[in-house]
Amino acid sequence: MTGTTGIERRLRISGILIALGLLVEGFSLIRVHPLAFLAFMLIGGALLIAGIGIYLYFIASASSPPG
Amino acid sequence: MQTLTVTGPATLLYVLIGVTILLVATIAFRPSLTATRSGKQFAFVVYLLLPAVVASMGASEHMERSKQTQFCLSCHVMDPYGRSLHIDDPMYVPAAHFQNARIPREEACYTCHTDYVMYGSLRAKLRGLRHVYVQYFGTIPKTIELYNSYNNRECLHCHAGARSFEDGAVHGPLMASIKSNELSCLSSGCHASIHGVAHLSEMKFWEPK
Repeated sequence: MTGTTGIERRLRISGILIALGLLVEGFSLIRVHPLAFLAFMLIGGALLIAGIGIYLYFIASASSPPG
Repeated sequence: MQTLTVTGPATLLYVLIGVTILLVATIAFRPSLTATRSGKQFAFVVYLLLPAVVASMGASEHMERSKQTQFCLSCHVMDPYGRSLHIDDPMYVPAAHFQNARIPREEACYTCHTDYVMYGSLRAKLRGLRHVYVQYFGTIPKTIELYNSYNNRECLHCHAGARSFEDGAVHGPLMASIKSNELSCLSSGCHASIHGVAHLSEMKFWEPK
């Protein structure tokens, strides 16, 4: 795998996770119910944190000096 | 289970969620956009800052919604307490407050059951999280009880300072004891009829027109 495709893949994976997290959070706001709150916190929050985490790892590792 | 009409801050939140998803998808499927310096800055905003803003706005919105009566009553175990708000007897304190709009009906539970102290609202919400946990993963107790005996402070949050209350023939002479919480509004026999969930089958109920 070349460096470029690796970067693209990480960006795509983190973007998909963030978008899914935002979708879950958006749908959770349709209902006023404790389960909607749990979905927001546990599912939406976990997807967002995972997506942002992968992105932050990507930019941290991409900007590391060689060696 | 009820859906909420989308207006006000929620509309802004939905728009922001939609825009953020579109921008995230744009970068995810066209990563070449991040090849330039400005592209990297754009990606940083779209992948980190916007989702963080949306998540914090969403959390705030959910916290506000958790104050709503329909949120509290969405758990089956709270059904009798919801019905008790419609008891057709002015001696029942929650029913009289609810039916006469002395408290906001859409936040009836929260208004009387939050603690009016610093971080009281936060404490109420942490308790709420525990209730959600017990509802879905724990064992629901047969009898629901308050964590502590009801504090007069919660009644005085609205009633203190009202002339008809403080100068009234009944409450006036007792004011010092009421304010110091020595004489409980509820358990001293003065306003002892609260939710009355054990006797609901014998009650008449108010039907709103």
